[in-house]
Amino acid sequence: MSDKPFFIGYMPAPEGLRAFLVIVAAAVIGGMAGASWVLGVGQDDPGPGAVRGDYGRQNLMGIVELVPYPLLHVVEGSDTIPEGTTLMMSAGNKAGVDARALPLDGQLAAVSGVVMERGDLQMLQLRGGRRGLGPGGGPMDIPEPVDMGRWRLAGEICDGKCLAGAMRPGRGLAHRACAAMCLLGDVPPVFVSSQPVDGEEFMLITGPDETPLPKEAYDFLSQYVSVEGTIKRHGDLLVFSIDAATLKLTN
Amino acid sequence: MSVKYIPVQWNPNKWFYDGIMLVGVFVFLWVFLEIAPGVLSHERPINPQIHNARAFGACAFVMLTIILCIGPLARLDRRFLPLLYNRRHFGVMTAAVALTHANYVLGWYFAFSHIPPLEGLLSANQSYFQVAGFPFELLGLFSLICLLLLAVTSHDFWLKFLTAPVWKRIHFLIYPAYAALVGHVALGILQDQQTHMVSALFIGGPVLVCVLHLLAVVHGRVKADRIAKGHGWLAVANVAEMQEGRAKIARLPDGNRVAVFLHEGKLSAISNACAHQNGPLGEGRIVDCLVTCPWHGFQYDVRTGQSPAPFTERVPTFAVRLNGKIIEVDPTPNPPGTPVKPVPLPEAAP
Amino acid sequence: MAATLVLLGKIWLWAGAAVAAVFLTFGLDRIDEDAQEAYVFRPLLIPGVLMIWPLVLWRWWHIERHGDITMARYSPVRSAHTAAAVAMSIAIILVLSFGWNARQDWPGDVAPVQMTKGSDE
Repeated sequence: MSDKPFFIGYMPAPEGLRAFLVIVAAAVIGGMAGASWVLGVGQDDPGPGAVRGDYGRQNLMGIVELVPYPLLHVVEGSDTIPEGTTLMMSAGNKAGVDARALPLDGQLAAVSGVVMERGDLQMLQLRGGRRGLGPGGGPMDIPEPVDMGRWRLAGEICDGKCLAGAMRPGRGLAHRACAAMCLLGDVPPVFVSSQPVDGEEFMLITGPDETPLPKEAYDFLSQYVSVEGTIKRHGDLLVFSIDAATLKLTN
Repeated sequence: MSVKYIPVQWNPNKWFYDGIMLVGVFVFLWVFLEIAPGVLSHERPINPQIHNARAFGACAFVMLTIILCIGPLARLDRRFLPLLYNRRHFGVMTAAVALTHANYVLGWYFAFSHIPPLEGLLSANQSYFQVAGFPFELLGLFSLICLLLLAVTSHDFWLKFLTAPVWKRIHFLIYPAYAALVGHVALGILQDQQTHMVSALFIGGPVLVCVLHLLAVVHGRVKADRIAKGHGWLAVANVAEMQEGRAKIARLPDGNRVAVFLHEGKLSAISNACAHQNGPLGEGRIVDCLVTCPWHGFQYDVRTGQSPAPFTERVPTFAVRLNGKIIEVDPTPNPPGTPVKPVPLPEAAP
Repeated sequence: MAATLVLLGKIWLWAGAAVAAVFLTFGLDRIDEDAQEAYVFRPLLIPGVLMIWPLVLWRWWHIERHGDITMARYSPVRSAHTAAAVAMSIAIILVLSFGWNARQDWPGDVAPVQMTKGSDE
């Protein structure tokens, strides 16, 4: 132990220690660069969801239906959203449009907003106030829903807005709290099925008999679950009314 | 050292240390934010806010992992002691990087809602009784609060004001903070991501920290300081063991340690705990007639336990005597800074 | 509940601000000679006082009563290193193991099962 170099912070580093310290400094910088590379290039694909500002503002006419989340059965479409499409709707930020849609249930409405799109999932984010959603000409017949029976599906419960492209990535456990805040703000929840049902990978998910998604389901948000419930086709959109007691994690 | 406080007592080594650290942080963020995206073959890019949050979060994780390695490395190999010297600056920078991460997260995942961001953070996810889906953000919040607490109490004023033992107890929070950070990662990003190398790094870093700490514990057991034996005056060493300018350390019955130095052929004993951060003075050396702490270079006159003017630090001294070839100390410490007459070694000492 | 916690946090910080105002302008000079006529560093202490103001008040009172130098300064907490290192290691291993175990794979191979037919089919 006789003459190992002795470092004193406010004195020049001893001769015998300098090479070692230079190596350590290089290792720290190199290590941080290496770690950054590994973590940086190891990030998963956030998926194809996107806010399609490039489609331009969508001005549509449609019939409002509450299931209880508001849907729009489009009767006058656009190049992007043809007549016959059934759309979920949300407001700006983490909010739904329930209050605006309530008085228009079963009525023709004029809507205006920008579309978010992920595969065949579409979510229309409406402009504020009556410019986004206003009366369009009185009551009209809502297309009759088609009962598809009871199903057991596997997949993930998400908020329909982030999933559709408001955030990338907009699903997964790291996004779970954000999804919960969206749902608490009445953004429609969406179920991503492990495999398509009647051609649909994405569907609106609700509580039993098309009531709001029960709070028990929030404990399973963003996790991979299996759950039972009834499916009805509303226009070209499936609505999955789950029995929350059957929710369980897969594998 | 003390004398009038200033914001930071810079010296060339600290400039060098901080320079390396800043280059490391800059390189990390640059690679993550500028270089790596060019390699990612994603159809659409990750949102910039999320990308930034990840970059700063990952950087803070790596920085804290490095910081947690410094302590045990310095105990296992004294050549790492210079990394300990300015570790506080490293910690402050880590807290700043972690705070930036939190800011991005709050400003994105927890923004744009009728619930204010902080309230959302505390309430959006209430699944406290499950592993996957646990509100891992709260673990990150705990870790961040600890890091901030450590950073804001890092000035030397706090050491003197709170006393080193209290300050050290507060700064032990780094251990739960790191464990919570690992939990934050393990229950957060590690649940989702699919790349094995990323998992390997997020698991390998903490495991390395654990291994080094446990090795240091074992090393400390093997190299444990001797225990002063006897009744009344206690035997701490044999004169044959003494080396000029160095000390022998012994543990006293009250658990504290005494360091007996040989300086210019005479024996003096002082507390082993430096007044600054309770660093082990007995593992230091006598430089220019002054005992010099191996941690931050605080100095004391071995005969008086006092720092040279204008510094004002003092450590307790102990009375020493020779009993044949056995060096004994009176285990009752003198008040800090009390002069004690050094005891000359016999001329014929081997 | 969350709003209450945030409010308590704000109250804590405001109380800390009051303590900082008094301590940094008045108390500091009384208890630490190294701080006398040293002002530039004081703003650096504000965040610390905000966070641990009860401890600041306690130490201030203690130093006023008992003086600054006590033997307690020289009793390092070295033995706690072992306990802290072991506890941290156990916590890390546990959280990594539980976390890794809880990971899920996308159930892409689980097919939808129709349990009953719909009334319209």
